Parts: sequence; C-alpha cells; structure tokens
Amino acid sequence: MSESALERTSRALDLVPYLLEHQGISITELAEVFGVSENQINEDLILIHMCGLPGYTPLELIDMYYEDGYVTVSEPQSLHSPRRMNRHEMAAILVGLDLLKSIRSGDLEIEISNLQAKLLSNIKIENPFVVVHQELTNDFLQIIESAIAKSTPLKIEYVSANKDEKSERNILPLELYVQNRMNYLIAWCDKAQADRTFRLDRILKCELLAGVEIRSKNHQGLVEQIAPSTKLLVHSSARNFIEENQAIISEISKIGESFEVKLSQIEEEWLIRTALGYGPGIEVIAPARVATEILKRKGAILSRYT
Amino acid sequence: MSDRKTERLINLTLALLSTKRYLKKSQILENVFGYEGSQEAKERMFERDKDDLRSLGIEIEVGDLDNFFEDEPGYRIPQKSYELVVPDLTPREMAIISIAANLWNDTAFAPDAQGGIRKLQSLGVPTTLDLDIKLKYRFENPAILLEIVTKAISSRSTISFSYDSQSLKERRVNPYKILFWNGFWYLIGFDLDRNEIRLFKLSRFVSTVTIAKKRSSYEIPEDFEAKTYLSQSEFDLKRISKIAITKDAALILRSRGKYLEEKDGYDIYEIAYNNESIFIREIIWHGDSVKILEPTSLAESLIATLEGSPR
Repeated sequence: MSESALERTSRALDLVPYLLEHQGISITELAEVFGVSENQINEDLILIHMCGLPGYTPLELIDMYYEDGYVTVSEPQSLHSPRRMNRHEMAAILVGLDLLKSIRSGDLEIEISNLQAKLLSNIKIENPFVVVHQELTNDFLQIIESAIAKSTPLKIEYVSANKDEKSERNILPLELYVQNRMNYLIAWCDKAQADRTFRLDRILKCELLAGVEIRSKNHQGLVEQIAPSTKLLVHSSARNFIEENQAIISEISKIGESFEVKLSQIEEEWLIRTALGYGPGIEVIAPARVATEILKRKGAILSRYT
Repeated sequence: MSDRKTERLINLTLALLSTKRYLKKSQILENVFGYEGSQEAKERMFERDKDDLRSLGIEIEVGDLDNFFEDEPGYRIPQKSYELVVPDLTPREMAIISIAANLWNDTAFAPDAQGGIRKLQSLGVPTTLDLDIKLKYRFENPAILLEIVTKAISSRSTISFSYDSQSLKERRVNPYKILFWNGFWYLIGFDLDRNEIRLFKLSRFVSTVTIAKKRSSYEIPEDFEAKTYLSQSEFDLKRISKIAITKDAALILRSRGKYLEEKDGYDIYEIAYNNESIFIREIIWHGDSVKILEPTSLAESLIATLEGSPR
C-alpha cells in the first residue's frame, strides 16, 4: 500500500513527541499505538533520524537510539511538543466524551464538562457535532461495571419480555454496550449455562453475589429458538424497523417503495410481537405460521377496544 | 520519492518551528535540506510544501513587510499555534478521555480517536485507572457521509444528495450541524428548496453527497441552537397514560409505571411516555393483556397503527 508523503510526515511529527514521553518503548508497541506495521515504524525512524535543523551537523539532527527493538530519543530538536489535534480527532474525542456523559450522567457529568472546556480552551476549532442527551442511565450501571471489572458474579431478577416472566438468575457479567437508545449487558448465565444478552431496563433487582463462584464456560449461541429463512416485506412506514435491526438483517432488496428483508437467527416470539407493533407496515411472508399468529393477535387486541 | 518529500517537509517544519524571527524565502531555499534544482523549481516546491503543511493543520505565519526584509516576506510556525496545550490535565481526566476514545473501537471513528489520544499521551500526563468502565457503543455508522458532511460544514459549502422520505427527492442543503440522537446520526441544515431549516437522517441518504465547489457560500446564524429543531413530541415532552393490565401480565410495563387501583379484575397503572409511536409499539408488544384507557387519542392511534389507516 503506498502512502502519501503527507500521511508519513504527519505520523513522523507525532512520533517524536510520543517517543519523548515513552522512552524505551518497543517497536512492537509503537506499531500497535500508531496502527501501522513494525516495518513501517522502522522506516519512519530511519527517516526521522536524518532530519534536523539547518546546518545538519550531528548536533542539529534529531537524535535517537534504537537497540534490540527499543527506542529512545535524546534530542528531539524543535519537535518536543505534540501537535494540536485536528478537526476530526477533536470531534472524535469531544463526541466520545458527550456519549460517555449521556451514558453516565450524575457522577461524571460535571467532571466531563470541565474536561471538554479544558480541551477547547486553547483551540479555535468548530465542533460540527451535537450530541443530544440520551438519558441512558440505569440504577444498576455502577454495580454492574464494578462487577465486570472485578469478575464478580451478580444475582439478578430479570423479566423476559418474550415470555412475560420474572426469573432469578446468577450471572457473570462480561460486557456492557449501548444500542438503539438501550443499555445491554452480555453475561454468562448460570441458569441457561450459556451467554445471554440482558436489557438493563428489564433487570428489576441486582446485587453482588458473595461467596459464590461462577465460571463462564465455552461460549454457546445467544439464541433459544431459531426461525430459519424468515422473510418480510417492510413498507416505508416501518422503515425504523430496518434501521434499528441492522444486526439481524442478512439480506435486503428494494421492491418499489418497499424492502424485502431476510432475517438471520431470531426468536419467533420476538418477531411476532415486534411486527405486530408496525401494523401493516411489516408483512411476514415466511414462515406462514408467524403471519397467521400475528393476524390472530391483532384481532384479539382490537376486540378489546370494541 | 515519497521519502525525499517527507524528509523535506519534516525539515521545513523543524526549521520554521525553531526560529523566533521570520525566515526569508531565500534563507529557507538555501539552508533547509531538500530544496534542489533551478531557482524556479525550488520556489515551486516551497509553495507546494507550504500548502501541504497547512493542509495538515499547521499554521504558517507570514511576516509583515518591514525594513529588514524589504520586499521579501518571511515565514515561521509560531510554537503557540503548533502545539497542543491542555491546561492542568489530570491523570484521572486522561483516563476518562481514554474511555471516551475507546467507545469508538471497531468503528470508522477509531483512527481519529486514537490519533487524538496519542497526542494527549504525548503531553506527559500519566493515566490512572481508578475507574474501570468497560463499555462499548454500537450504532449505525455512516462514516463516509460523516466525513463528507463535516468537510462541507467547515468550508461552508452547499451539498446535494438524494434523500428517501415519502418519495425519493434530490435535496440541496446548507449544512449546519451533525446531531447524534438516540443512536442515530442526523444532519441539520438549511434546505434551499423548501427555504427552511430541516432535519435529515443520515441513514436515509440514498446517494453519496456532492459538495459544491464554492466555499463560504452561507453563514450559520450565531444564535443557532440545533436542539430547538427536534420535534417536541419526541424530545422532552412527558405525557401520562392510564393503562389496564391483566393480572400477572406485562411485568415490564408494571415495573416502570405507578399502580393506581384494581378495577373489573384488571390492575390500573399510570405510565409516562414521550414518543407516541414508540410507546404504542410497546403497548402492542404486550398483546391483548394490555388496554389503553386514557388518553383516548392514544387508544385511537393504537387502533390506527394496527389497521394501517392514515393518522
């Protein structure tokens, strides 16, 4: 892959101050931090070694040693400070902080706002992004985070939305994520003996489980009942469905104003309840029994209003 | 070739950064390593190099004419405009920034976030990890659009694109801001055909975006506040509904509502909502074990949703 001289210059200007604060770092780690190959880092260092100030005697060149794959800079010349962040870097950091703030409002909110002001204090940069506060906080977020950090099991009371049932489960929390304005937790579930995804707003109780050891075994699938070859016709009024469920869409094609969508692994009960909420916006083509069930339940709901 | 140019650009940066006085062009061409060939070729090279460095965001200051320089301009890079300064950054703040940057892992924003982090890590502030947040953010990721639209915003250039609303339409918009809201990206800007400020969901852009060549073709009003253009119904309006729930059913709804009374064998709950269509889908999710009592307009909307009649 050929790289432009500009990209290389940019990296070289960042490498020297980084090395200055990370004396004796290995080439391997540098390559990882800068997201390029070790060969590339080696070539960059050789090039930087030849640069310096007018005069270009040994005293005026950037001076560094590398020995057995470790690098030390002894004379950075005028490259002692990192460059300003560019527009994109600044935006990525600022929006990241905004997201963190919206996920963790309360404890970190003021701290993050102060930090954002500090980052912007010496830079005249226009941030083109606005993050709208999302209120994603959850009472159990902190206890779950510390349980993940310490690999401590939790005891939760959880409502299964598909079955409309409460259950108590001992889990080992593994990873938190946010998607479509919801907090999710992936955890090893002792009851199911498999990894399960839990929605945080469906956890009714959550406490640390002292004195019990739970180990995550080899990961199995997340899906209980698989509906193979599910095919839907999604009309434009139900476009949100496509946008919010991209992760499970295996094929999509446009037919006139509508979309034909094939879904990968999903629970049938989930599909019935979800499709129902879009009315005629979603037509289930296959499997036929799902379409029949949707029709039946639609009638049952409507009959309560007559 | 790439090596020689890179070397020359680095040498030029070093020279311009280390000088307190402005350097004359003739001094630069004579002393900075890498300028070769005829006088004309050297000068052309220098002009290109200046543009290149500026495109990296490096500010090259051009000195005023004074007696000393006579008619020749001088150049330097002021340290103050070159270097990253973040006053009193603490180790704890460094940790918070790392967590924020890592939210972008596995997304197209990751390289920029990592670039920013590398620079901050070169400030010499250590990171303390007394808070340990392992959180990921998964969202739709129209990275190419974000890149193009931010570029258009910074140069204040009109963009055009094909947008999928009721029907496919070509739009011409002066972009103002990009909004991230509920896991989706939106563009907010002035729609030149409708003559008003509009919101566009990036996931509904059908074509790529074309940026008009002309720069500075509009201004963003100084008092522009993106949030005021989000529809009230979806934003901060809290509404109250009254719902009848069958015994032992709809546990999730119960957990976020307020129990009022028992009536005709049903449990009556008060439940707050803000987005009507999302709330209706939630009610329908629970099938015939849930019935909306109030407001009647909400019940009517539910029926209309199921039957597909226009509201």
